[in-house]
Formats: sequence, structure tokens, C-alpha cells
Amino acid sequence: MTEKVGIALLGAAHTTHAWAYARALAAAPATRVVGVHDQEREHARWICRDFDVPFYASAEELAASSDVDAVVVCTETVRHRATVELAAAHGRHVLCEKPLATTVADAEAMALACRTAGVQLHVAFVSRFLPLVARAREAVRSGRLGAVVGMVGGNRGRPPLPPAYPAWITTAAEAGGGAVIDHSVHVTDVMRHVTGLEVASVSAEAGSLLWRCGVDDTGVLLLRFDTGAVGSVDPSWSLPEGNPWDYDFYLRILGTEGSLDITDTAESLELVGNDASGLRRESFAADADAAMLDAFVASVLEGTMVDPCASGEDGVAALRVALAAYESAASGEAVALTTAPRPTGRGA
Amino acid sequence: MPVSELRVGLVGAGLIAGVHAHAYRASPGVRVVAVADPVRAKAERLAERYGAVAVGTVEELLDLPVDVVDVCTPPLSHADVAVTALDAGRHVLCEKPLARTLGDARRIVDAAGRAAGLFMVGHVSRFEPDHSGAKALVDAGRIGEVRMVTHTTTCAMPTWSEDGWVADPVRSGGPLVDQAVHSFDFARWVIGSPAVRVHCLAADTPAGPATYTLSTVRYANGAIAHVEAGWGHPASRGFKLAAEVVGTDGRITWSYDRMMGGVLHPSSGPVEWFDVLGDRGFTAELRAFTDAVGRGGPSPVPARDGMESLRTASAALESARTGRTVDLTTWEGS
Repeated sequence: MTEKVGIALLGAAHTTHAWAYARALAAAPATRVVGVHDQEREHARWICRDFDVPFYASAEELAASSDVDAVVVCTETVRHRATVELAAAHGRHVLCEKPLATTVADAEAMALACRTAGVQLHVAFVSRFLPLVARAREAVRSGRLGAVVGMVGGNRGRPPLPPAYPAWITTAAEAGGGAVIDHSVHVTDVMRHVTGLEVASVSAEAGSLLWRCGVDDTGVLLLRFDTGAVGSVDPSWSLPEGNPWDYDFYLRILGTEGSLDITDTAESLELVGNDASGLRRESFAADADAAMLDAFVASVLEGTMVDPCASGEDGVAALRVALAAYESAASGEAVALTTAPRPTGRGA
Repeated sequence: MPVSELRVGLVGAGLIAGVHAHAYRASPGVRVVAVADPVRAKAERLAERYGAVAVGTVEELLDLPVDVVDVCTPPLSHADVAVTALDAGRHVLCEKPLARTLGDARRIVDAAGRAAGLFMVGHVSRFEPDHSGAKALVDAGRIGEVRMVTHTTTCAMPTWSEDGWVADPVRSGGPLVDQAVHSFDFARWVIGSPAVRVHCLAADTPAGPATYTLSTVRYANGAIAHVEAGWGHPASRGFKLAAEVVGTDGRITWSYDRMMGGVLHPSSGPVEWFDVLGDRGFTAELRAFTDAVGRGGPSPVPARDGMESLRTASAALESARTGRTVDLTTWEGS
């Protein structure tokens, strides 16, 4: 095939992720970035400059462009639904930034819209593309640990505060919450992906305890899985300014026949300079964003989602857990998740 | 014999009694003079090593000239031994957990309150160089106000207990009461605020029912603790401890993965690891106790502290059993 897969960036409001995806797409031999749109041109400024991507003032016009085969959605979370529905209406496959939406209703509507339109809906659960996660999945699925008893996972980071990040990320109405919705979805998704278990109930503690940023920055989720296995997730934005690394991803699994611990900070070198910044851990990990976008493009080319891409249903499942965690943190009681019946097309 | 000599009687001659007996050697003027254990051979073996007298019961031990009774029995008998010793006017060091039940813990708190002697709970974590070092950094203001503590301790089912009492949830309370009680004690100590609610999930492992546990604790000042404790891991993995203390101005972390300061590889024979912690925690704990006895108080870890940590652990057990959050501001427990 000589024709490149045309990708449109619909929304760049998650500026850091959108830029990283644009970089990966610009470097990928099989893709061409057709254009970028955002309601705020400033969000797309660096993408346009660094990767020579044209800016489109109209999302409609960009989505409708005959050069576009698929779209990547990085709007504010609350606007994911409208943007994904626009893409689906134009028959474009979609990779949507996580969390999928701010409400389960929106997330389910997005999954339904894409199913109805016959397009793929991917969710940007980039942690699935960490080679250590793939090895963990292989180990668990091949029975090396026996039956899973418990899991502890975490994805910690610095608070995504202005000016490095746009203000909407720490605004509940636009982001759906803070650290719990922002980071727990990665860990919940990897737990489901690695083990195949589903979360049956959630209890959580969460609060705005560190940065006075208006949303929860600290939390712990306790998960009961459908088999009776237990789990916990630390999604906190708990890293101080001088932390040697910017984020981590770890997972510890206990099974009836063994245990497994993985942590991505292992893939790093320690660096100290002659300035006051102190010790840094400089990662030498392979670019997981690039692996995710390669898999998205491969899925578009093959006409079916390739492994280990995360689907809209995966996005809904992780979002349910995060939103249940907020409910539990507020009520102080565990929240049972009822497995929602798969929505069927109205009138079908 | 100097008048200031402190004569210690150990009650219980199991694993921890041996650790205590060894660690007392670093406390000047302290001598283990008697060891009581119903398994007479164990008492004799330990007593012989330290030139002490072996007896069968705490009553026999109290007939001897001992100033200190060090309670190293299984937790179900802590209260009987500790209360008897306190009422007999002796100083008492009691291993953690303070007791197996909150009712027993209250008996000890009451006895310690009316006793002439000094009472201390052996919450050794507070004296381990890693944990005490973290507390010192917090007290020095290096990380601001503590907002989150993560404390994890996982290993295989302990095999050291007489008659396997640790493996029996009725007698030990399982990993929540025997092991996570350290985590609950340390978290509350470093957070500096009472625990107000607990949620816990437990899972069965081949080592036994509810031998893998995950808990969250909320404190009155809003801080959160996240505690993992379990006995279901493969023995080859060893005992793993990892901790994080997150404050408004910084973060302290450590792990047993990084506590080996050296390793000796002989051409043949087993590898020898140089653990930087060793028995420094027990040495410091017993030194703090004997120093406090010498000064006439206050207790480095009062009975009430041990009861609070046990209350959190017991509430976690209750939460794991019922699936409900336990409100510690009202929960009485049993």
C-alpha cells in the first residue's frame, strides 16, 4: 500500500498528550497528519509549528476532509462525546483520549455511536503498550501465577497545573474530577487487560489534600473483582516538584501459584547535573505512545482492532470504576457495579 | 551487683523472646534473669543462653526478683500476663499487638493506668532506623504536613510460631492484627491525627482464609493511609516492606529492596546479605524502654497507643468481614 493513512487531530486541549501523539504520528511512515483543530487555537500552536501540521478552524470541515481516514480526539474530556459523535457521523475511526468521558451515559453513547456507524472506537490507554505490561499479561494468561488473588497498582504523577497544563484538567466540570479519574483509569484498565477480571465493587478515599487545585489530587481505590480477588489503585498526583521521575506505573499481582511485580521506573538512568535540580531518572523506555498509535493505524488498515488496543467498552469499564470511586469517597460506603447490559440500537 | 541493674523476666520463649534477649545486651545495666514458658524445654534453652532461670509460669517468674516483665507470649494471653505483672508492681514491656481483642486491650490500659510500674507496647517499627528516620524528617518539617501514607508488608505464612498459632485467625487475627498493626501504628504516628474510618478487603490465598488484605484508613485531619499486608506470597520472595510518606512539601520513600548494604558471595556455600537494619530496631526499642524505666517515665509507647492501633486493625477485620466501612469515631469493637 502506498497511500498513507490520513489522521485528523480533533482537539488538542490535552496539550501534552496531543503533542506527543502528533509527534508519534508525524514520525510514523504509514501515516499523514491531515490537520489539527481546536476551539482554542493556542492549544494547537506547538503541534502546528513543530510538526508542520495545518490548523483547521472548523472541526466539521476537518472531519469531512476526504484525506482523513481516522481521527484522534484530545478535546476537554467533557467534549469527547460531541467530538467522537462528529467523527463517527463522518465514518471515521476514532482514538479518544482517556478518560473516555465525564459520565457513564456519555461514554456509552460514544461507544454506541461508533458501533452504529461501523467505526472503531479506541481509548488511549497507553499503559497497555508498555512491554512490561505485555509480559505480565502473557505470564498471567498462561497460568504462571495460578488464579489471581490480589493486585496493587499505581500511576502517580505531578499535579497537572497551569501554566504547563491547561486549566480545564483541574476543573471538575470539564475533566470529570482530578487524580482519581485522570490516573485510575490507566491502572484499572491494565488490571482488566492483564487478568481478564471485572470490577464488581469499589470503595475509595480521595481528597484535595496536597495542591489546593480544586479537584482531588490524592486517593486510593479498593476494588473487589468478580472472582473475589481484591485490588487497590493509587492514582495520586503526589509527586513533588523535585521528584526524580515525572510519573510511574507499577503493578503487583499475587496469584495462588506465584507473584509478579512490575514497575516502569526500572527503565531509567540516574542523572545529576551541576545545577540545583538534583537527581533525575531519565527513562530509556520505548515510546509507548508511538506503539499505541502504530496499533491504532494498523487497526484502521486491517479494518479490525488489533491486540492490545483498548476499545470503547474498555473505556466505559474503567470510567465506571473511577466514577464509583468518587461516589464511595463521598458516601463512605462501597459501591457495587452492576454490569450494564450492552446498549442496543434504539428501534432496532 | 550495681543497684541500678534492671532484672528482666521474659514471659514466652519463642522467636520474639529470643530477639529481645539478644537485643537487651545493648542496654547497659540490663540483665535477663528469668524465662517463663509452659513449653519447659524452650524456656530452658533460652535461659541457658543468657544465664537465666527457667520457669513454667508467670506466677513462678513473679516470685523471682525481676524488675521488668517482658511479655512475648501469643497475643491471646498478653492481657493476663501484663495485668498480673502490672498489679504485682513490675514494669512491663508487651509485644505488639497489645492484645488479640479490644476487651483485653482495655484491661491492659486500665491496669497500666493504675500501676506504679511503667508500661510500653513493643511497636518496634517506631524504633526501626527507616521508620524512625522518616518520622524525624517529618518532625523536622522536611515534607510539610503529612497527607498520605502507603505501607506494604508481604511475605509467606510465618512458620516460626509455637503450635502454628500465627496461622490460626482466631488466635492471631491474621495479617491485619499481627502484621498490618505495625502499618496502622506507624501511619497514625507519622500523620499525627486519629483514624476515623477504615475500609478493608481481604482475599483467601493457599496460605489460608483472608491472608491477603488491602485497607484504606482516613484520619481526622483528612490524611489517607493505604495498607497492604499479606501472608500469601511465595517464600522465595522474602519479606518485602515498602513505604511512602507524602507531605505538602515533599515525599519520603523506602523499601527493603534497597536495605542490603552488602553481599558476601563465598566460592561455595550460601550467600550472606548485610542487612543495614538488622536488629537495630529491637535494640533501640528496648533501650528506649529501659531508659524510660530508669528516668521514671514517660512511656515511649503507652498502652493507649497500642490500643488505638489494635482498634484500627480490628476495625479492618470487621470491614473485611462485613464489606462495610467502619466509622472509628463511634465503633466500640470487641
